[in-house]
Amino acid sequence: MKRRLFCETLAGTGFLLGTGAAAGLSRAWAFQDTSNLSHVEARYYKKHPDREIECLLCPRLCKLGDKERGYCGVRQNDGGIYYTLVYGKACAANVDPIEKKPFFHFLPGTDAFSIAAAGCNVNCKFCQNWQISQVRAEQVPHADLPPEEVAAAAEKYRCPSIAYTYTEPVVFFEYMYDSAIAAHKRGLRNCVVTAGHIQPEPLQDLLKVVDAVKIDLKSFQQDFYREYVRGDLQPVLDAIKAVGRSKVWLEIVYLVIPTLNDRGEDIRNMCRWLAREVGSDIPLHFTRFHPMYLIKNLPPTPISTLESLRDIALEEGIHYVYMGNVPGHEAENTYCPRCRSVVIQRYGMQVKSISLSKGECRTCHNPIPGIWA
Amino acid sequence: MFGPGGALDRLKISEMLSLGFRKLTGTREAGQGLARLFAQDARVGIKINTIGGRKISTRPELSLSLAELLVKNGWPERNVVIWDRTNRELREAGYKLSDSPNALKVFATDTAGAGYETEIVSHRNIGSLFSTIQTNFVTASISLAILKDHGLAGITAGMKNYFGAIHNPNKYHDSHCDPFIAELFDSEPIKAKHRLSILDALLVQYHRGPSFHTQWAEPCGALIFSLDPVAADAVGWRLVEQLRSGNGLPSLKEEGREPVFLVSAEKLGLGRAGSDSIEVIEDEV
Repeated sequence: MKRRLFCETLAGTGFLLGTGAAAGLSRAWAFQDTSNLSHVEARYYKKHPDREIECLLCPRLCKLGDKERGYCGVRQNDGGIYYTLVYGKACAANVDPIEKKPFFHFLPGTDAFSIAAAGCNVNCKFCQNWQISQVRAEQVPHADLPPEEVAAAAEKYRCPSIAYTYTEPVVFFEYMYDSAIAAHKRGLRNCVVTAGHIQPEPLQDLLKVVDAVKIDLKSFQQDFYREYVRGDLQPVLDAIKAVGRSKVWLEIVYLVIPTLNDRGEDIRNMCRWLAREVGSDIPLHFTRFHPMYLIKNLPPTPISTLESLRDIALEEGIHYVYMGNVPGHEAENTYCPRCRSVVIQRYGMQVKSISLSKGECRTCHNPIPGIWA
Repeated sequence: MFGPGGALDRLKISEMLSLGFRKLTGTREAGQGLARLFAQDARVGIKINTIGGRKISTRPELSLSLAELLVKNGWPERNVVIWDRTNRELREAGYKLSDSPNALKVFATDTAGAGYETEIVSHRNIGSLFSTIQTNFVTASISLAILKDHGLAGITAGMKNYFGAIHNPNKYHDSHCDPFIAELFDSEPIKAKHRLSILDALLVQYHRGPSFHTQWAEPCGALIFSLDPVAADAVGWRLVEQLRSGNGLPSLKEEGREPVFLVSAEKLGLGRAGSDSIEVIEDEV
């Protein structure tokens, strides 16, 4: 009921809702004039002579002449000053279950006020939201939703957290950062859904104002990152380590694409690396691929593949291993690693029951890591 | 060539265009040359590059003269469009917009009713939405690009001009825009419709491009015509190198940004990149 009410309210006040197709994209897209974009000076860049700049936000380190845009398509050099074009410009705003992100150990059973601005600093060939992520700022309808209003909307719709999601929040860093501060002032939490392609300095700053981060680790092979992500693996691993060693909650999602990143040996190596670098308590989600964007010639991931990779992760000592996009599968549940009791039962994005007491298994009192309230 | 305030001599431009078409096609009249390139019922797209603003974009005097030449030789005004990606950039480059059904059209992809296709065209390393101007309106295309130094690609000229026909050019800046420039050109919506390249080398930004810097912009008063899109850009590159050398600058290769996309384009069979295999015919008006 809350979600429906929210949609009606925003529709009535002229907001744009939803991701991708839900955002009202028609055959020929409706454009906003570029004058409607924001013109807020970006953080993390260096000025060079002759009005050139170097972006220091993500590992691409784009060097741009006057009037040029970064790889992300939403940050532009204008006269030697670097601007974010999407500050306060939400191209999607929804109330989602936190399980949709997915976060399974962060405020389970609650809703997250979820926002996005256009753009992305990688170009995954299997992107699920390419209509809003793989576009330039002016190519997607957006609504003015400044940080304070983001926080106010979250509070109004009784969402204990704000999720920065759908596209790549790194490229709307300033908007996310200021919204996160506004949210904390209201006692709300912040969670980030990212590919983890970010430089160390902005990441450290971000970790001061958010409470949970989900990183999409898309492969454990650099070749895959080059070919299918148009990015690099190492910065993502560095980001995982940095978040894992901070006080911010971390979960990992691995989208399993048949024949491309589903080798058991890679998964085993990845799990060993995760256990060593961030510990065995990190929730790891293997999610099911569906043909999308530039990869339409592969079938959905067989469930048996997900099960076998999950088995490998469990063998390697990862305690909380999930399967996503497989509603009704037992691997959606959280099990106590000591007594194997179900501590959180889920169906799809719904939480059916929670058997935790003060963060402990109700059966054996084993502590279950996470942010529970 | 350039009058007070930087305005171009339209008469001279028209003469240059006329001469260019005659030389290019070996005909006595420009109209005959045009007839060899464009069917009489063709809808001709003149793709220009206006990202550099008034100072370093395809000149309105040039593109309007080209449109005028087409109209004078029998192509209906309504079937000619001068276009780029945004109306803002067109205006800032000095163009007066027009989308009247029966007149010469000057408008951009972000015009209401235009836009981008919603089905991705996937070709080699390219995955893009194409402007509906290129896919729906235009049946024969002229790349009327300004020749400039480019910090990433080495140069921007006739082939890279088509970056302005897709929704996501920013995704193709890696590896000196290679092989993306060549592969985009090789995609069906471009290759099937491209007829010729004309490079605006009237004023050439030979360093620190693609944006305008007075100290590195030199009036050359030249237009480069070619039916071979790779050769056109290769000749443009040569001109940029001459200007760089003449002004004491290192070559693009020495700066580590040689336009390697030309090699990829040649490998794809799009044309010739090697200077030995290109015949350059120079003339003056």
